[in-house]
Parts: sequence; structure tokens; C-alpha cells
Amino acid sequence: MSDAVVLAADIAAGHDGDAELVVTVRYENGVVGVVALDSDSAFDIMQSCGAASSADLVGRPWHEVLKGV
Amino acid sequence: MTLSQQRRFTTPEPDETLDSLAARARPDLDLATAIELIRGWNLHIFLMRRPRGLLLGGDVVFIEPPLI
Amino acid sequence: MFDILIKNGMVIDGVGSKAVLSDVGIKDGKILAIGENLKDGGRQVLDAAGLVVSPGFIDPHTHFDAQLLWDGAAKPALEHGVTSIIPGNCSLSLAPLKAEDRKTLIGMFQQIEELPPAAFTDAFEWTWETFSGYRAAIEGTLSVNVAPLVGHSVIRLWVMGADAQQRAARPEEISAMQDLLRECLNAGAVGLSTSFVDVDENARPVPSRFAQFQELDALCAVLGEFGRMLQIVPEFYDTDITIARIDQLAELSLKHKIPTTLSPVFDNRQSPNNVPRTLARIDEQMARGARVWPQMQTRPIDISFSLLRPSLFFARLPSWVKILRLPVTERISALRDPVTADKLVADAGEDGGERLMGRLIVRGGGEAPEHLVGRTLGDIAAERGEVPARALITLSLENDLEIAFLAANGGHDSTDRIGPMLANPLVHIGASDGGAHLTSFSTYGDTGYLFSEFVRKSGALTLEHAVQKITSEPAEIWGLKDRGILKTGYAADVVIFDPLTIDRGIERPVFDMPGGGMRYVRDSIGVDTVVVNGQIAWAKGAYTNAQTGQICELA
Repeated sequence: MSDAVVLAADIAAGHDGDAELVVTVRYENGVVGVVALDSDSAFDIMQSCGAASSADLVGRPWHEVLKGV
Repeated sequence: MTLSQQRRFTTPEPDETLDSLAARARPDLDLATAIELIRGWNLHIFLMRRPRGLLLGGDVVFIEPPLI
Repeated sequence: MFDILIKNGMVIDGVGSKAVLSDVGIKDGKILAIGENLKDGGRQVLDAAGLVVSPGFIDPHTHFDAQLLWDGAAKPALEHGVTSIIPGNCSLSLAPLKAEDRKTLIGMFQQIEELPPAAFTDAFEWTWETFSGYRAAIEGTLSVNVAPLVGHSVIRLWVMGADAQQRAARPEEISAMQDLLRECLNAGAVGLSTSFVDVDENARPVPSRFAQFQELDALCAVLGEFGRMLQIVPEFYDTDITIARIDQLAELSLKHKIPTTLSPVFDNRQSPNNVPRTLARIDEQMARGARVWPQMQTRPIDISFSLLRPSLFFARLPSWVKILRLPVTERISALRDPVTADKLVADAGEDGGERLMGRLIVRGGGEAPEHLVGRTLGDIAAERGEVPARALITLSLENDLEIAFLAANGGHDSTDRIGPMLANPLVHIGASDGGAHLTSFSTYGDTGYLFSEFVRKSGALTLEHAVQKITSEPAEIWGLKDRGILKTGYAADVVIFDPLTIDRGIERPVFDMPGGGMRYVRDSIGVDTVVVNGQIAWAKGAYTNAQTGQICELA
């Protein structure tokens, strides 16, 4: 079983009119899924893993992205 | 009609902690691994909620990754 | 003689039948006759030549609970042809509520509906605690029909007090909640609403979210005694969780023989499998006999932001992310620094941000100068001799960052994808959220948009099908007795509209909330006349004094 990894991070419109970050993850079992993050959560993970932008998340192991939260 | 298989989940019991939930839901894994995986599969609880990780009685808590 | 005789209209009955040229006679609040060339005459005769005559539209997901206390028309919903509304969604209603819990509930309402504080202190008197008391407070001044849900969060709050937002309920508390719910249903509640998403003003989950599934099951047993609806807000941002909620609803529906509905369900390019997977699961559960209705809105979602709060709109731009995460005073200083500003502009792209920011629209309702409101940033930038990224910075600084920008159609915006979804027999058109999100965006005019975008523009639905989706279908799903169909003996809720022009107007700010509070609205276009229970409530662009709205009788 390989580590989950971020495949893409796109901006989308959330229900409340705020932008949200839709992160595409390839999970440890090979399945590709999406996770929609609100702005606080998305900025928090970007900061905690040292990503300068949403594009900077792409290619990172998912556990590394989440480790600081 | 037969229902297609969907991702397995559990719901927290009253006053349950992540530790006890992880031990209950994934006894096949060592506890630390179960906890880390469950956190990563349930960002609606462990990332987006304030306070983070607060388990609620109504929660859907996935105990496996998304299905193929 | 009829009270109202509508002549020469293209009558669409609401059940999908093809439009026919016919007259409609109304008397004593009911449809008395439908047919060609009715002879009896009417005290009021309306010539509907060239127009459609249809049942009044039904909006199944609103938050007009407070507004109804000072505005019985739920403006501007009624002028869009909406004659029946369902408030009390998302676990929150204004009753039952003990006096000592009002402050707690107001915080939740303000978070979700964005009503100004004056709405709860100046606009009405709290004369009730019980559900029947709230009903009495709104009855008599209604211009629109109301089928109110009772909120799970307030039922918890009544029984458990502050513990409702702390812990699971004990068996005796669940029993007390069952008794209270039964009392509300006997007083006319159309069902129970609950939420797995909403938070209060401190971002703490609302009381319903602390309930175990067993508690919801026990409350649904009471719904089963009446055959009434359970409405939920699922974690709509995640398909797997939504499917888990669908399965829970199906279990409750089958066990207690109740209808259930989940709202909202959205389509986004970034998660294109969300709706197809959701509907596939609904299909499986419906085939088992469960009644699980997903609600989908017609309107697209816009992204709105200012530089006062970090927005993910800029998430692709590293220098912008860095600056926008600074505390406000430091953020303003950084934006004023020429070197920093130059770097931000450079990072916005070689085109100066034209592609990313040029089509942003300056929103009204805040501190934006009137002459800029509604214009694109690209247009304003050209006028100022700046590139869009520079204009965004300077406009924000000139207005203390209190200027908001809108990126139109940021989600749920693919007409080609959404049209067939709305036409799907499994999909319940709704989720307007009317009366909520007041200062964020307009929640009115979704019905007009259904006709302009999905009937006239894309042809995804015929006119008759579109009418059916927002009249007889919601009436049947929710059990609204004798509504939603133009049929002899049914309530005379009627909309007369121009099928060639019906639409929603542009979004605009108005300051008509209590205390001068702002909200965004959209005017109706192409709606000629709205009749509620046999009296004209809106015609030719103006509201009348009719107050014939009722609490809906249930089947």
C-alpha cells in the first residue's frame, strides 16, 4: 500500500459564496477522491506544510500535508 | 434491489474518544496507524471542524479509504 | 359569478399536461372552473392573452421564519410567483423556544441568515414560546402560504438547555423531545429539520449535531405517526458522506414510512462525479421503496470576497497568499508599500491579472463608490490607466478594504450538465435558501432562472415540465393538501407569467431589513400577476394589501 498523495488543488465556489479549495487525492489504495476545504482549513494546511500556493500542494504526500493540523 | 457497496463508516458512541473509536472500528491495525488513517479519511472532523477533532454523535466517521 | 376570471391564458395545470388555451374561474379562494370561454363573468377579469396561467410556485427550502413576522409576503419571493414556502430548515425554527433560550437561538439565526440584530429586537415582539404560539404570531398577516418545519436544534434546546450543544441526550430527554415534536406536528408543522453542517456564531456545531442516530430515529418514529417529512443538511461538500446520509435517510424512511429530503446537492467541475454518484445511490434506495429527495438549486454560485479576509480566490498566487494572511493593519501597510504592490501585480500574470481578475464585478451594498458598482474590474482598470491587479489593490486601499468583488458563476454553473439533472425525476428542485445569506448573495428568483436558462436557453425542460417541477411535485413530496395543481376544488394559488420573458433581475443591494439592514435581492421579470388563495397579492409590479396566505393544510 503506497502513501496517499495530492494530485491537484483547484479553486471552486462554496455554498456560502466563499471560494474553497478542492484537493484531489490518490489514496493509499489507489482510489482518486476529492476533498473540499474551506478557506481557514486550506490556508492552515498550506501554512503548516510550507506550501506557498495551492499549486505547491500538488505531488506532496497527503500525510505530510496534514501533519501540522 | 441489491444495494451497491459503499464506503464503510461508523458513528461515535456517547463520550467516545478517537482512541477508543479507532480501537473499536479497526482492531486489525495497530492503534497509532488506525488513528492516523482515520484522521486522514475524515477531514470534516479533524481539519474543518472547530474545535478540531470534536466527535459528535451524528458524525459519519469513515473507517476505510474511498472505495475503488 | 367568479371572484376572479382569468381569460384567454395558456393554462398549464402543473401535472405535466400540455398547455391549453383556457379560462380559469376562481371563487372563495378555490379554483371553481377551468374551461374554454367560461360564461359566468367575474368581479375581476384578468386578460391573460399570450401569458401562461400556472399553479403558484412552491419553495421547499427557506429561512423566512423571522421575516414573516414583519413581512407576510416574504418579499421578494412572492413577486417571483412563489405562493407557498417552507421555512424552518436546517434544524432552526423560531419555535418551540423558551424565553431564556432566545439569545442562544438568535446567535444561530444571525450566523446562518445574516439578519441584523435589530431584526430580533425592534421588528417584532416575542409573544410565543410554543409552536402554536409562533403559528398564531404569523397567521392573519400572511400574503404567502407557509408550511413550517420545526427545527431539531430548538427541540433539543427546549428539552436540554445549554447541554443541547454539549452531549448526547438521555432516554428521558429523548422521550421529552418526542412529546414536544408531537405537539408541534399537531400544531401544523410539516415535518422536522436537522443539520449535520451548521454552526453558531462562535463556529460551534448547532445542537442537532450532538444527537446520536438513535435520537433521530426516535424523532422519526413520531414523524411516522403523522407521515411527515424529515429534512437534513448533509455534508454536501463530500460525496461519500452525502451517500452515507442518503443511506441513513433511506433506513429512516423505510422504517417509519416517512418522506425525507436532503439539501443542497451541487454540481461542480472540480468534482464532476458528485451528482451522478449521489443520484445513483438515490435511485437504488428509491427502488427499495425509500423516499429520499435530493434538493438542487437552479442558480449558479458566485464567489464573493474582499481583501479584508483571506480568500482562496488568490490561492494560486504565492505572494498574494502571503500578504493576505497578515493581520489587517500589517496587510494594509504591505499593500501600500510600492515594492510589495509591484510584486503582487507581477505575480498576477504577464497580463496584469486581466485573465484572472478582469471579469470581477464590484459589488454594491458595502463601501464601494456608487459609480463603480456593477462594473468589471477590467473596465475600471482601463479607465484608471491601470492593470486589473493594480486596480484591485488601489480600489481596496481607497475603501479601507471594504470593497467586495464578485466572480460570477464560480460553481454549479454548467447549464449543459445541470439541465438534465434538474429534469431528472429523482431531483427535487429547491434549496433556494430564501431569506438566508442576506448580505452574501440573493436567494430569490431561482424560479425565473429555471425558465430563462433551462427552458428557453437550453431546452433541458419543457415549459410544462418546469412548471410541474416547482408546483405539483413539491406539493406531493411535502404533502401540501390541494395545492400545486390547477384543478377544480384546489386552492386558487395562481401565477400569470410571460413564458418569453420570465427571469430573475440583476442582483442588487437594498436596505429594507429592520434597522436599515442590507440584503441582496433580485426583482422578478415577466411575472404579471400572483394570486394567493383567490386574491391578487401582486400585480403589474406592485404588492396589494391582500393577506390571504395560510398555514398549509397537510394531506
